[in-house]
Amino acid sequence: MSMGTGTFYDGATSARQTVTVELADDGLRIGTPDGRLIAEWPYHQLESLSAPNDVLRLGRRGSKVLARLEIIDPTLAGAIDAHAAQLDRGGTIQRRQRVSVVAWSVAATISLILAAWFGVPAIADRLAPIIPHGIEQRLGNAVDTQVRAMLDNGHGKEPFDCGQQASEQAGRAALDKLMQVLSNGAALPFPLRATVVRRKEANAISLPGSQIYVFQGLLSKTDNVDELAGVIAHEIGHIAHRDGTKSVLQGAGLSFLFGMLLGDFLGGGAVVFAAKTVLQSSYSREVETAADTYGVNLMNKIGANGRALGTLLAKIGGATEPGMTILLDHPQTSARVVAINKLASATHLPAPLLTASEWTALKHICGDK
Amino acid sequence: MPQPSPDTAGVRFLGERNDFFRLLARGSLFLMVTLGIYRFWLNTDVRRFLWSNTEVAGESLEYTGTPFELLIGFLIAIAILVPIYALLFLATLQLGTIGQFSGAIGFVLLTVLGQYAVYRARRYRLTRTVYRGVRFHQDGSAWRYAVCALFWWTLTILTVGLAYPWKESRLERFKMRNTYYGNVQGAFASSGLRLFLRGLPMWIVVVLPLIAAVVAFPATADLSALKQAIAQGDGGADVMSRIEGANPQLYAVIVFAMLAGVWSMIMGAVLYPAFQAMLIRWWASGIRFGDLVVKSKLRTASIYGGYMRCLGYSLLFSLFLGVVIGTLTVSLMGILGAIKSAPPQAKEILTVGIGLISYVVSMLGYSAIYQSTVKFAFWRFGAESLELSGIHVLDQVQATGGPSSPVGEGLADALNVGGF
Repeated sequence: MSMGTGTFYDGATSARQTVTVELADDGLRIGTPDGRLIAEWPYHQLESLSAPNDVLRLGRRGSKVLARLEIIDPTLAGAIDAHAAQLDRGGTIQRRQRVSVVAWSVAATISLILAAWFGVPAIADRLAPIIPHGIEQRLGNAVDTQVRAMLDNGHGKEPFDCGQQASEQAGRAALDKLMQVLSNGAALPFPLRATVVRRKEANAISLPGSQIYVFQGLLSKTDNVDELAGVIAHEIGHIAHRDGTKSVLQGAGLSFLFGMLLGDFLGGGAVVFAAKTVLQSSYSREVETAADTYGVNLMNKIGANGRALGTLLAKIGGATEPGMTILLDHPQTSARVVAINKLASATHLPAPLLTASEWTALKHICGDK
Repeated sequence: MPQPSPDTAGVRFLGERNDFFRLLARGSLFLMVTLGIYRFWLNTDVRRFLWSNTEVAGESLEYTGTPFELLIGFLIAIAILVPIYALLFLATLQLGTIGQFSGAIGFVLLTVLGQYAVYRARRYRLTRTVYRGVRFHQDGSAWRYAVCALFWWTLTILTVGLAYPWKESRLERFKMRNTYYGNVQGAFASSGLRLFLRGLPMWIVVVLPLIAAVVAFPATADLSALKQAIAQGDGGADVMSRIEGANPQLYAVIVFAMLAGVWSMIMGAVLYPAFQAMLIRWWASGIRFGDLVVKSKLRTASIYGGYMRCLGYSLLFSLFLGVVIGTLTVSLMGILGAIKSAPPQAKEILTVGIGLISYVVSMLGYSAIYQSTVKFAFWRFGAESLELSGIHVLDQVQATGGPSSPVGEGLADALNVGGF
């Protein structure tokens, strides 16, 4: 078949024209029913455009004018398809394009995951040490506001921080004395601050900068001053290693990498969060070991009992960091205790870090209850 | 039956639900393995399907946008947004007033930017919509639209939804007045008051009980006495009895508030499809292009049908997914248990992995079901309900306007405010 009819829109107006379509040697000749030629479209410029299933809608590839020729007669459509090799009516070219998009996206996904797994921590590790302490302190203050908002959830009329009320001053003084000894031992170029807060969990955290929070629940589990000193020394290790800053940088990097690219395909947030948790807890294990090592060395240096940290860890079952509970199970705790005991020097000074009465006051820093 | 006069026409929808679902299901699979990058292709496919199967007065629409345009728009949007996000992040670190208000400033900034993106995205979609060889286009300042939208949204929230009809009519008027089919200017003729009067019964049923509950609290409860009662002691039953002593009516108020909340939730869910059907009727009946007048007779039942279908398929899918995930977990755990050398944390990693994959699969599945039922119902029945009169306008439209940039789509995508 070399002739047929179709519907033509010239792209200049919306007027509908019924036209004759002739399949010439080099292209389609489109004319009015009375024989006047309207347009000539070469076969190699024909493009099949999105249309209902039973309509072949043609345009000219790359043309700025939106002229359209529509063919309903399936025989004529088939004949045009046979003449124009690049028409892509069956969508072969499009399918090929899509396969390459999917393949490259999978490659991009793999490289993204590799970047998240190796790149982001590596960048955070290199970046954290060169951040000046002043900026780190600011970061710490920002995190502090967030952390306090999350942790401080109601404890009657008493303030969140222990050691502020008159009856708790002796405990605060004892804690200050302990911190003085630990700070001198650590000899960091900035002051350290430790606070006991009213939380029931056996936990302690350190923020970027200089702030350490010991939870009341952990303090009540300690049997002697060396156990508490060991935990604080471990947290000082995190501060000295700038682990808090690193994890903030990692978190920002990861949420940026995944959040931006995932876009809104399913609201993203939950996946981002899960990815963060999984990845960050996998950084944490080596970081914890490093902080343990730092803590025990600090305890050795000030002549206190480094094994006390291990004793306390065994008592509370290991999880001293909030993000650690997922992957850190009891076997890791016992491995940590073994490593701590290996490092701790067998001899330590006979004089304890605090006197018996100071230790009693410190134990009651959150009041008598 | 009276013969339709020659100057009127209807709209037909030719697409099959199963074809649409197949398209979405395949797209979801690709979304999963490409971490969402495939969405530009899927969105384009969806629009091509919906546009080309919508036949207005005997001629189907054509969507001429391409996935590459959307990808480029998204990349430009990232280039614009990254410095903004970085500045907002730095601002939170800043002490003093800037730091304190950085959250609020960021929220307002991103809201305005989101509305800007909505308007620009609409412009992109319109200029990629071709009908009879002539494209649609849109004028008007997107920034002006964004500021108007912010104003009306604020007013809507402050009036607990009472200003919503006027927000809709004002913003729609802004959009339609700046919309052109070739050289024919659009307009929007539905009034806010009309929508208000139609929606008021629903507002009274759903929102008013909630307001009453919220207002009842400070009116009955003596707050200072309440604070004192809580502050006095250790907690537990003691506190409750003291609270009761200080505020004898409090229990009645709490019960009332809970009942009101449950009532509002149930009625809100039940009436939501009816509300949407009403909104579509009101909106579509306001559309004008020159002498062309659109009227919608959308049946509320067809929208309910879409939702019921969605509910049914979702239940079936949940059942299927539950069985598959359950079997998978049990068998994998069994295999893991049999391997003696497996590290102790392998179980945890496996659990997290299965959880993550189930989450992604279920979200994509529900999304595909929702789109092929509810959204499909909106589009199909919304389109088929339209009656056009004055269609002689469509015969002499002069082509004007060119394609616009896809940046708006990219911004809308990155800011999660995208539509179809």
